[in-house]
Amino acid sequence: MAAIVALKNVVKDYPLGATTVRALRRVDLEIDQGEFTVIAGPSGSGKSTLLNLIGCIDVATSGEVIVGGENTAELNDNQLTQLRLRKIGFIFQSFNLIAVLDVFQNIQFPLLLQGTGTAKEREARVMDVIEKVGLTDQLHQRPSELSGGQRQRVAIARALVTRPKIVLADEPTANLDSVTGGSIISLMRDLNRADHTTFIFSTHDHRVMEQADRVITIADGVVNAQGLGTAGSDGAGPNGSGVGA
Amino acid sequence: MRIFAGTRVLFQIALRNLIQARRRTGVLFLAVGTVTAMLVLLQAMSAGINDNMVTAATTLSAGEINVAGFYKVTPGSAAPIVTNAAAVRKIVEENTPGLDYTLERHRSWGKAVSETGTVQTGLTGIIPKQEDRFFHTLQLAKEKDYVEGGRDEVIGDPRQLSEPHTVVLFANQAKRLGVKVGDVITYKTETQVGRANTLDLKVVGVAKDLGLLSSFSCFTQKETVLELGQLDPDTTGAIWVYLKNIDDAPAVMAHLREVLTAHGYRLMDYNPNPFFFKFEDVQGEDWTGQKLDLTLWKDEVSFLSWVIIAFNTVTWFLTSILVAIITIGIMNAMWQSVRERTREIGTMRAVGLSRVQTLLLFMAEAVLLGLGSTVAGSGVGVVISLAVDAANIHVPIEAMASILLSDRIHLSVKPGTVVAAIGFLTTFTGLSALWPAIRAALLQPVKALAHVE
Repeated sequence: MAAIVALKNVVKDYPLGATTVRALRRVDLEIDQGEFTVIAGPSGSGKSTLLNLIGCIDVATSGEVIVGGENTAELNDNQLTQLRLRKIGFIFQSFNLIAVLDVFQNIQFPLLLQGTGTAKEREARVMDVIEKVGLTDQLHQRPSELSGGQRQRVAIARALVTRPKIVLADEPTANLDSVTGGSIISLMRDLNRADHTTFIFSTHDHRVMEQADRVITIADGVVNAQGLGTAGSDGAGPNGSGVGA
Repeated sequence: MRIFAGTRVLFQIALRNLIQARRRTGVLFLAVGTVTAMLVLLQAMSAGINDNMVTAATTLSAGEINVAGFYKVTPGSAAPIVTNAAAVRKIVEENTPGLDYTLERHRSWGKAVSETGTVQTGLTGIIPKQEDRFFHTLQLAKEKDYVEGGRDEVIGDPRQLSEPHTVVLFANQAKRLGVKVGDVITYKTETQVGRANTLDLKVVGVAKDLGLLSSFSCFTQKETVLELGQLDPDTTGAIWVYLKNIDDAPAVMAHLREVLTAHGYRLMDYNPNPFFFKFEDVQGEDWTGQKLDLTLWKDEVSFLSWVIIAFNTVTWFLTSILVAIITIGIMNAMWQSVRERTREIGTMRAVGLSRVQTLLLFMAEAVLLGLGSTVAGSGVGVVISLAVDAANIHVPIEAMASILLSDRIHLSVKPGTVVAAIGFLTTFTGLSALWPAIRAALLQPVKALAHVE
């Protein structure tokens, strides 16, 4: 199966005062289309940095990051924006919804940026994902009127509405109680199976890891191990073909 | 184009953010609205002064186009007259496109002398039966306005100018000369050949001042001016041309210059100044006989243009200061907005908002604020202007009345200037947000997402 994400010898440094912090050290990694992958590791290990590079919201200091067949180092800001808009969906730990838009408008937002389809077609797409995440009764509520779980469902719907190839989720259950977190992960797993969308998570949550096809562990910026998650070992999802660092 | 995709939702977000930040928006709305209302008021006042000037000038000092001239018996002399006036008037009337009507004004320049004072002023000769507009515009002053202890009523009748050797003065002239209706003054001038000549003139009316214009002319009948200057009856001071549309005056004047030249008349070079500014130059020129001089109404009152220029300068100076303050206020508010919404910017950039769209989002916020507040402010300005104009407020200070060219406050709202005020201030409001908006657009998504307020 073709890799939807490939990192080759990737290094990421951050300046910190007079010194430089190396957040990623020569990372090599491949993730296939349709994988449900978890990147696990302690705080400060480089999980979020790795997701940011894959999500094209940050650039590597050296090495190659290839997303959807495109080398991100060769793209300008507009092209990176287009890549994010067309191929990537984001789910954030703090939901990051637009406070002044209601549920429907938040989910429709990326479609409006894409400028694709008629108003009716967009509405149909939005209603389809809203139904999938079970928020049909909250259509016209603002984020401040929703519970944490409902907000995360809106974020998931927003990430999926453009039918991206990859969905990146940075600790999506960190701000949710265990029951809600569990249902959110189950929902994403279902969507992954139904649409064959690639999901890549960063998390410490063992329940999330149990659902994964593959768990990539990272510490001090080094990918240490890439093993099968519980779901992967059950044969529920496709196997990863990553190469350890 | 893709950058315009979703523009509607960006404006929607911008509008809702403005509503959400009610307090900040309210303060800025009030500030921009107040400046707009002030600008509209000042512009209405400027337009009112201009209206007063047009009315006063085209009634008392000039036609919309003036066909005048100088006649020189010797190279060193200069009489402000047009000889063979009937023939010139006929050519003008037959060749003026959009002509409404013509008048003749006979004019002299000299001194009005009384027992207690002297005033240097022009003397304008009119043909009373042709001057309905003149009598309609000229309003008599109450006697107490020019005589200490005078009656609180209007005395005299300007239509008595149909009698020989009569004069209508303005209040400021009557005051300086110390005369009232029924008194006699002496007017002293020079004839065409340079000899001094005088006539006694009976004051038949004293008119309300019309600003500075009132200092430069008083009125008598045509025959009196001819007698003072010992002139042929077929001479005049100027043929005043009135058009159906005053805006056509420059083009029509250019046309008349060509026509009169084609008829063999000699024309002076165009000099946009009143006739009494030209004596010295004409006396210094080496020619004799008749030369015609064509001017516009604005030229004959060009010495008053400083009033409008000064008023407009003050208006723009005040507006500039206020706009600068508002610019700083809006820029500061937009910086705060960018700071507060940095994470939201990061989210939207991650989701797929381009830099141009980010710029547009913040510019939209400022433009919406600017448009809303300037429209409301101009509405208030227009209402106040119309109310003040309708109230017909008397100007108690003489110096101010001179500047306003009227003893009443007249405000004139021109739709074009209101639209210009809205456009100007909205543009400025939008531009005030440009730098914060650029900074927002240049934010790296990853840094914006990591921002902690």
